[in-house]
Amino acid sequence: MRTLTRIVAAGTLAAGLGTAAQAQETVTIAALYNLTGGMSSIDAPALNGALLHAQLINEAGGLLGGTVMLEVVGIDTKTDQQETATAAQQALSMDNLIAGIGFGDTTFVLAAAPAFQEAGIPFVTSGATHPMLPTWVGDHMFMTAFGDDDQSYAIADYAYDTLGLRRVALWTDDSMDFTRALATFFRERFEERGGEIVGADVFMMGDTDFSAQIARLQAIDPAPDGVFIAAIPGEAGLSVKQIREAGMAFPIVSGDGFDTELVATVPGPELANDVYFSSHTYRADDRQVVTDFVAAYEEEYGRPPENAFAPLGYDAVGLIANAIEAAGSTDPEAIRDALAATRDFDAVTGTISYTRESMVPPKPVAIIGVENGEFTLLETWTPGE
Amino acid sequence: MSGTARGWSLAAGLTVAGAVAVWLATASLNNYLLTLIAFAGINVILAVSLTLANGLTGLFSLGHPAFMMVGGYVAAILTFPASRKGFMLPDLPDWLAAQQWPLLPALLAGGAAAGIAAVIVGFPVLRLRGHYLAVATLGLIFILRAVVNNLDGYTRGALGLSGIPRLTDLWWVYGWAVATIFVCWRVKQSSLGRTMMAMRENEMAAACMGVPLARTRLLAFAIGAILAGIAGGLWAHLVTNLTPTSLGVFLAFQIVVMIVLGGQGSITGAAVAALGLSAIANLLRPVEQTTGLYGLTQIVVALVLIGVLIFRSQGLFGSREPAFLQGKAVPSLPERQPATPDNTDPQRGST
Amino acid sequence: MSDYLLQQLANGLILGSMYALVAIGFSMIYGIVRLINFAHGDIAMIGAFTALAALMAADLPIIVVVLAVLLVGAAVGLAIEAVAFRPLRGAPQVNGFITSLAVSVLIQNTGILVLTAEPRSVAFPAFLSQPIAGLPITVDLVDVLIVVLAIVLMAALGAIVNRTRLGMAMRATAENLDVARLMGINVNRAIMAAFAIGSALAGMAGLMWGARYGQIDPMMGFLPGLKAFVAAVIGGVGSIPGAMLGGYLLGLAEVLFVGLLPPEYAGFRDAFVFGTLILVLLVLPNGLLGRAAEDRA
Repeated sequence: MRTLTRIVAAGTLAAGLGTAAQAQETVTIAALYNLTGGMSSIDAPALNGALLHAQLINEAGGLLGGTVMLEVVGIDTKTDQQETATAAQQALSMDNLIAGIGFGDTTFVLAAAPAFQEAGIPFVTSGATHPMLPTWVGDHMFMTAFGDDDQSYAIADYAYDTLGLRRVALWTDDSMDFTRALATFFRERFEERGGEIVGADVFMMGDTDFSAQIARLQAIDPAPDGVFIAAIPGEAGLSVKQIREAGMAFPIVSGDGFDTELVATVPGPELANDVYFSSHTYRADDRQVVTDFVAAYEEEYGRPPENAFAPLGYDAVGLIANAIEAAGSTDPEAIRDALAATRDFDAVTGTISYTRESMVPPKPVAIIGVENGEFTLLETWTPGE
Repeated sequence: MSGTARGWSLAAGLTVAGAVAVWLATASLNNYLLTLIAFAGINVILAVSLTLANGLTGLFSLGHPAFMMVGGYVAAILTFPASRKGFMLPDLPDWLAAQQWPLLPALLAGGAAAGIAAVIVGFPVLRLRGHYLAVATLGLIFILRAVVNNLDGYTRGALGLSGIPRLTDLWWVYGWAVATIFVCWRVKQSSLGRTMMAMRENEMAAACMGVPLARTRLLAFAIGAILAGIAGGLWAHLVTNLTPTSLGVFLAFQIVVMIVLGGQGSITGAAVAALGLSAIANLLRPVEQTTGLYGLTQIVVALVLIGVLIFRSQGLFGSREPAFLQGKAVPSLPERQPATPDNTDPQRGST
Repeated sequence: MSDYLLQQLANGLILGSMYALVAIGFSMIYGIVRLINFAHGDIAMIGAFTALAALMAADLPIIVVVLAVLLVGAAVGLAIEAVAFRPLRGAPQVNGFITSLAVSVLIQNTGILVLTAEPRSVAFPAFLSQPIAGLPITVDLVDVLIVVLAIVLMAALGAIVNRTRLGMAMRATAENLDVARLMGINVNRAIMAAFAIGSALAGMAGLMWGARYGQIDPMMGFLPGLKAFVAAVIGGVGSIPGAMLGGYLLGLAEVLFVGLLPPEYAGFRDAFVFGTLILVLLVLPNGLLGRAAEDRA
């Protein structure tokens, strides 16, 4: 119902303004997300964030002095690569298309973004974090999030320096590229710093039972100082709960896949302790842009942002809006150039500048701690250029 | 089309008409519609080729995506630009890394690999029947996925092969769809096809008549797998990205749905159902996008499916082909047989 | 090391109990109407969300929650039977298979539309997750309850099927529907009973899932449903003890392959699990306890 009223409201708003100011145009951003199927818990919040931002921009009078309104069209790619390839072509066939956004996972970006690249339309992924993405796809590919190398290095440094961990077990979701990259970068940094990986184990996306891995973790002798879990939100709370219930109290560390309320709610406040993860700088952050976003999200959807992908979707639209203003135009090539020149864009998930040759934004990385089910910002890690 | 001159000229006429349609489509439609039609065409290849095993022979295989994966990976590795293959797939032997084939031989190689895989797997697995075979072939998908996922140096693991050249266009899909329909049609009308149907109706009786059961089963399985492997190659060069999870259980179910919806053993039915399901799903896309009710497409397709199966339990076409496609000269083809008790009695019936 | 093995066996047993509960309902329905019901796992999902609603919204005592889940599971099973499967009786078997897939897609996507795809946490009373003291291995109270309850429910089912008039009717219907009808057996009632009981057990498995793992979502039923299918087939489709055995075997295989394989090969877990299952089938082509006659026309 809420969605319906919003669409009707947006429609009347657009129609009303359209007659008022003759020179106004509505431009389309295609938002490709897996809204059903296995990835939907990650991607649906991202679309919500994107829709919210477009709505706020339009309510505030649009872009370029009120001459440009944004329309975000969400396309469901159904956690299926065939649907993804089709959706990319559908998006590219839309009138007034100026950019595409989408996806929280690299493999889906790789099924859609090359078509945008070929058509000369910029594509901004909200949540995919593989640091090679812009290199692989080309100069029309932009990332909202930091790279997996940065977030893994950040938590590896924190685990080594602040938590004082030296011997860490490594759990990896073997079915996803994101989690495998996360684990690889963590191992690389942690070993480089002088730490040791004791015991590596894998699981698969969709697993709910970690008892076999836990028994193996318990059997490591001498016991490790902590465990790094490369997982997405679906397995984050489950793994913490089961490790704690098995009586192991050592620190659990991870990346932005752990940025979900589930880490606190599934184990419950008594067990959600000593969990540390690197993430986008928005959770437990009191910058104005963050608190405004969280308030607007709660007002629109009646619940706080589900995970870090919601603010990332919001920021993907923000990046494009910012580029339109900078370019003074809605021409896709002009937007691309302006996007590439983005410097110090104050996004909810941290400042974005495309200064690196790799085009992966060197964003600050937040280290979040969970104690008694409460999230606290412990430290902000700044990457090298 | 039973070898009569009329049948052949009808086939030729339809092929030419299809080619004209493809030419018109390519000239006038945008990339979105062309992509949709291309995927629908690949579905036709998949559904029609699975008809050999599932529809005609009465095997219940869910293994088509596994064979697509074999064909897709082989074809994609062969067409991949040699300049990038070396560092992307470091474990490939040098002679293979240096290859960069055009699409046609790569597709054929993919099909051949899938066929070989089907023969190797088929020997033991085809001894199973009914649901036991379904579970075993389902297992193939999971086994192959785990292997591809872990052979990083050959397949790039979970990340998959990306940047596969987009070589598949509507002409390729159309050509292979015609070839697939032709092959399956010929098989169905040949003595091999009758042998298959005899096995489906009553295996013991067929064996008593001297039908070589094991060989016929393997043939049905392997021919289907070769075509599935080719379809996998076409798929990979259309999506330009192939990962271990690209082709999974859900696709296996979708193909079976097309066959059942079309009518077990009807080649026309499988093709029409494949096209129809794609059409419904994509017509509903704009509705989803304006209402924000994502998931609606799947719900409507599911309801349509239940409705069709309740009100037309033999599928759209039963086991037959539409009369006008049949050479009238031979009035009593085996598919005109009424459904046997074996097929309708819930107590029996081997799927 | 023996503690380690014991722990892994216990883990496999607990997981297997839940698979077995889903699988026996699956197999019972197959036995009686020859229907492969892929929506069976989704009934477990509905059971889990019923438990969530009963616990969170209504704050009911645990025993009432259990009863509510059993009732809702049974009701959903009956509804699905009446709407989607009864009209198909007499149609080829594969139609039922496809219809059940469609019902499964329907339930899952309705769930996503109504509940969103976000996983939710379920908080069961804390005493359930207390570890049992004095054991060499870690086992929570809820784990023991799962195993015990699964066995009690399966025993109760065995008693119903083998010792009551309804059970006799069900067995007769499974043996031969037409003859059973000629003998004056109320075939419809027997079929409805199978759906109601099987679905109630699936709902119960969903509740256990929520209690043990603490997290549920609208798509949680798909994998257990698929695994129940596999377990039922391994046991011999249509055989209730077989489905039980298949469920335990699958649970143990999944846990033990992770627990005993060297970590380098743990990524091949699914390949090993399914490879083993195929091998079992090649040796026993009708499953562990299936009847050879089942398959032949």
